[in-house]
Amino acid sequence: METLETIKNLTMTQWSFYAVSVLTLFGALGTILSKNPIHSVIYLIMTFFSLSAHYVLLNAQFLAAVNIVVYAGAIMVLFLFVVMFLNIKDEAPELDNNKIVIGASIVGGTIGVILVAAIRLTESQKIDPSTYQIKTGFIETLGQLLYSKYLLPFELVSVLFLIAMSGAVMLGRKEKGERNF
Amino acid sequence: MYPIISLSVTGLLTLFLGFSENKKIVFPASIAFLLIALATAFIDWNAPGFYFNDMLQVNNTSIVFWAILIISAILIMGFSEGFERFEFAQPAEYFAIVQFSLVGAIMMVSFKNLIMLFLGIEILSVAMYVLTGADKRNIRGNEAALKYFLMGAFATGILLFGMAMFYGATGTFNIGSGVFIGGDNSFFLWIGCTFMLIGMLFKVAAAPFHLWTPDVYEGAPTIFTAYMSTIVKTAGFVALFKVLSTTFSGLQDFWWIMIAVLVTLSLMIGNIGAVSQNSFKRLMAYSSISHAGFMLLALLGDHENALGSIMFYSVVYTLATISAFGVLMVVSKERIEKGRVYEQNDLFKGLAQNNGFLATVLIIAMLSLAGIPLTGGFWGKFFVFRDAASSGLFWVIIMAVLMSAIAIYYYFKPVLLSMSKKTSLESITINPLAKFIFAITTFGTIVLGIFPWILRSLF
Amino acid sequence: MSLIALIPLFPLIGFLINGLGYKKIPKAIVAPVGIGAALLSFITTVLVYFQFKADGQTIIQPLFDWITVGGLNISFAFQIDQLSIIMLFIITGVGTLIHLYSKGYMSHDEGYGKFFAYLNLFLFSMLLLVMGANYLIMFIGWEGVGLCSYLLIGFWNKRSDFGDAARKAFIMNRVGDLGFLIGIFLIIRQFGTLEYLSVFEQAQGLEMGNISIMFITFCLFIGAMGKSAQIPLFTWLPDAMAGPTPVSALIHAATMVTSGIYMVVRSNVLYTLSPDTLEFIAWIGTLTALLAASIALFQNDIKKVLAYSTVSQLGYMFIGLGVMAYTSGFFHVITHAFFKALLFLGAGSVIHAMSDEQDISKMGGLWSKIKITAATFLIGTIAISGLPPFAGFFSKDEILAHVFEHNKAMWALAMVGSFMTAFYMFRLFFLTFTGKFRGTKEQEDHLHESPSSMTIPLIVLAGLSIVGGFIGFPEIFHLPHALADFLSPLYDGSRAVNPEFGLVHLSHSTEWMLMGFSVLLAAVALGVAWFIYVKKETQPADPSQLGGIKKVLADKYYLDEAYQIAFVKPVEKASQFFYSTIDKKAIDRVVEGTGDLTSLLNRLSTKLQTGSTGFYILVMSIAVAAILILNMGTEIADQFFSIFNAQTK
Repeated sequence: METLETIKNLTMTQWSFYAVSVLTLFGALGTILSKNPIHSVIYLIMTFFSLSAHYVLLNAQFLAAVNIVVYAGAIMVLFLFVVMFLNIKDEAPELDNNKIVIGASIVGGTIGVILVAAIRLTESQKIDPSTYQIKTGFIETLGQLLYSKYLLPFELVSVLFLIAMSGAVMLGRKEKGERNF
Repeated sequence: MYPIISLSVTGLLTLFLGFSENKKIVFPASIAFLLIALATAFIDWNAPGFYFNDMLQVNNTSIVFWAILIISAILIMGFSEGFERFEFAQPAEYFAIVQFSLVGAIMMVSFKNLIMLFLGIEILSVAMYVLTGADKRNIRGNEAALKYFLMGAFATGILLFGMAMFYGATGTFNIGSGVFIGGDNSFFLWIGCTFMLIGMLFKVAAAPFHLWTPDVYEGAPTIFTAYMSTIVKTAGFVALFKVLSTTFSGLQDFWWIMIAVLVTLSLMIGNIGAVSQNSFKRLMAYSSISHAGFMLLALLGDHENALGSIMFYSVVYTLATISAFGVLMVVSKERIEKGRVYEQNDLFKGLAQNNGFLATVLIIAMLSLAGIPLTGGFWGKFFVFRDAASSGLFWVIIMAVLMSAIAIYYYFKPVLLSMSKKTSLESITINPLAKFIFAITTFGTIVLGIFPWILRSLF
Repeated sequence: MSLIALIPLFPLIGFLINGLGYKKIPKAIVAPVGIGAALLSFITTVLVYFQFKADGQTIIQPLFDWITVGGLNISFAFQIDQLSIIMLFIITGVGTLIHLYSKGYMSHDEGYGKFFAYLNLFLFSMLLLVMGANYLIMFIGWEGVGLCSYLLIGFWNKRSDFGDAARKAFIMNRVGDLGFLIGIFLIIRQFGTLEYLSVFEQAQGLEMGNISIMFITFCLFIGAMGKSAQIPLFTWLPDAMAGPTPVSALIHAATMVTSGIYMVVRSNVLYTLSPDTLEFIAWIGTLTALLAASIALFQNDIKKVLAYSTVSQLGYMFIGLGVMAYTSGFFHVITHAFFKALLFLGAGSVIHAMSDEQDISKMGGLWSKIKITAATFLIGTIAISGLPPFAGFFSKDEILAHVFEHNKAMWALAMVGSFMTAFYMFRLFFLTFTGKFRGTKEQEDHLHESPSSMTIPLIVLAGLSIVGGFIGFPEIFHLPHALADFLSPLYDGSRAVNPEFGLVHLSHSTEWMLMGFSVLLAAVALGVAWFIYVKKETQPADPSQLGGIKKVLADKYYLDEAYQIAFVKPVEKASQFFYSTIDKKAIDRVVEGTGDLTSLLNRLSTKLQTGSTGFYILVMSIAVAAILILNMGTEIADQFFSIFNAQTK
């Protein structure tokens, strides 16, 4: 009865949090459990969307938008294309090795239990609404931080991208000669 | 600070050099760029300070490590002379990526903010994923690259999760801005510490996060295997040291048992696993795991000496590894079987008869890796054991000594093979640059074996 | 780099050239390189001497920091002071002469280049030994000369008994070296440093008879016993005569064997602090002197006689040190270096002339055939017998005077030894150079004087044997004792710890009497030898026909046999036991077991390497979970239980 009482007293925000969390977990589980890769990708898009909803709840609108545009939009579409191009639908490898599945579940469960327990045992800091800066998480604040305090990492990310880009070009370019095994 | 700028700019320049018709210019230009970076490293000598809102910490210690990293890169790149002869090769991209990767390595040895650490690790790792698959026609290389990438991504996730937890517990990314010993947020902090350490231990190939090592080392082109086992390791250990000695030094009671267990595991898996390997590169991969164990030992000691020991160990290990892989590259260049470069141990059969110089280089490298006195490797192990002894971890030291005894067995395998007789000898050509590099690494190994204080007295 | 560092550098370069270029560089270059290296060292020594004399201060020349372990800092530094400069003169001077001599002596040997390389290496090690500014460098030199000695004794390695002799020398030296090494460790423990200057400075603050100093000095002396062939570690030296004669002259007479004395004089402060050790040293010296002299009486091998004579003379030096007459002991080192090198080189010349015959019962009447050798040999004989005014007289007399003051019984024994010395040396001389030739016809036809490269060193050394004693006149002659004055600063520390040090209580008349007595004894010995071997022309007997005490002496008191029974046999038995029982049955099992275990674990650890990425990631995740449990499992469980307990209450 106590649980029911708690549910009744949930605020709007809490309601949306739980709803979105259920969606996220559902999407994540669907991603790894569905046998059809295309379904997997769609589940993943769903996960990203619900994660973006979490960001909104956390007052990080910019991050939410970027998450949708870049991950759900660009990257996942690319994923879909690749999956469709390769047409690996028929030869999707069966998770035939039950031992590994069982092992993985046990291990994942253990880690999950430990992490949940650890987080439950920690007193989480509550935010004081009266002093809360509404602008936290806005693109303006973020931009100011990126161009002042985090300027160096921000610039150096470009080196990372450059490596990724030229690496992709290098690996992707066609090469003469035989393939060796 | 300056080498980061210099290397980023010259990396770009190298990419542009790729447009030129004359591909021969890329190699000397890249070496020149690396030398420039080396020179710029010393601008800040004796001028310690913090840069960009405490993002980077520059002092003489970090400059010494910059120099070690850049010099190692130069020595390794020296073996790629003649690379452009292959019509399908894209030298500009390779050399550019090498220079960019050094930016990452430099960030890892001089970061002050965890974001810089993360970026550094990522820059270095992504470069390594690409370079592992650089030989595109070698399907084993492709497999290794993909494997490395998948597992590396997994480790990155763990690392990032750890950093997030750390931020949650402390509200800062700066290391050393306070010593945390727990309190209300201790679980967050502990998870953060554990996950960050795991992420970094993966990069330095400490057991049980070593599983990628043998496959990736074997699949990657030898020159990048050498790069991986020296530069990534040096940078990784300095980063580990920086994190453990500043932010997490208050948590020593928490993490030392974990590190001690991983040392034991790395030593056992590395040394015992190497015993039966027939492929020289796999042997070196297991050896690299065991050396990760030895270097972790230094972290268990008191922090006063640990950095010096890590520095000494990484220098002697780098020298010996470059020698060993260099000899492998030179000898295997002529031996291509079934389209693949032949890299088994018995490649060295009859080497002493065939080419005494190469055999000497190989033997001294192996002796140094095994830690025989009068080579640098001996003192490397000596310092590490001494550090560990200062913290009273005698069971780990006994383990380490036993494992070094096993190590002698497998390091002597190539040595004995190289001394054995062989009837048919093929001619081996060494270009002068490679000869020069061998001379440096071998001479350095011996000099450090006789006068270790030359280097040890730096800090 | 300063001049000082050049002194050992030249022989090292010589060694590298001759050693690395062995068999490649022509014979004509080998000898000039080898001799030149020694000569350049000698010239540099002279220059350094003037540099040192100019300001008279001890020069410490640090080269680099060498070992820093914890608080212990050992630098690689050279020290030039009165003691090391004299040793440098002996080593490079006599060394140069012997290098020159070797040019002629070894000219027919196929290992010519190797020989010069070893000689240069020996010079280098010996110079390190005497120039080092701390005990560790001394130890390196100590080991280095031991190695060279081993290499040179077994130089003619085609003969297995020579190899055995080399091994014997090496093993006996190792026994001593162990003592020396323990001594070094004790010094580190006591003083925390190995630098001479700071050790001796700290030692001056200690009490006489300090027990840990006694252990230190005792252990160091064990090292000296091995290197300087004292009882019980002396039997290697006579066997070491298997090496080429120049080696016997340089290493086993003039330089290496005196390093024990050098070490004691160097550490004189420590020894002065420990009268018990000194007493022990004095008695060991006395016994050695007497024992070796008595064995020498009936030896027929020319080099063996000289070898036992060397052992006995070394005994005299240690007697001198034992009675705190450091200068006298060291004086004898100097004069002995001259006349013993001369005698050995002379013996070499005789052997050369006799077509490699070493048995004096086959010689005789050589005086007329090889005049230069004979004359110089006679000078050496007179010098060692202690007849004035040759070098040996001054140094030996000084030692004996100090011994007389210290202990009359010891003095009496030393006098007996001294008498025997004169007797066997003149016996050797008369049997070799006078009377009728007893060898074969072929040998007689072949008799010839040695080439000038061999006779020049003989003449130079003969000159030095005559005048060498004049650097230390006895007080009663009212002439300055140059050596004592020169060495005096070395004993500042000893004077500080023992106010009695260096005071002589003997009256002049006693001293005159002692001197006269010892000269008389030597003259009597000369007369007896002349009577037996010249007048009556007694032939040296074949050792197998000797009887009674003579047989015991000729067979060296059966010491080798005794050692064989006392040490070698039990060790062999034990090693047999260890081999057949412990090694075969226990250790092999363990070793094989380790190997089996390793390969089992190896199979397990490589089994992890399936190649499947998914499996790898699973293993990693397991590891993560295990580490999390390891790190935080107990805390989490604790907290949950405490919450649970709180709720149930």
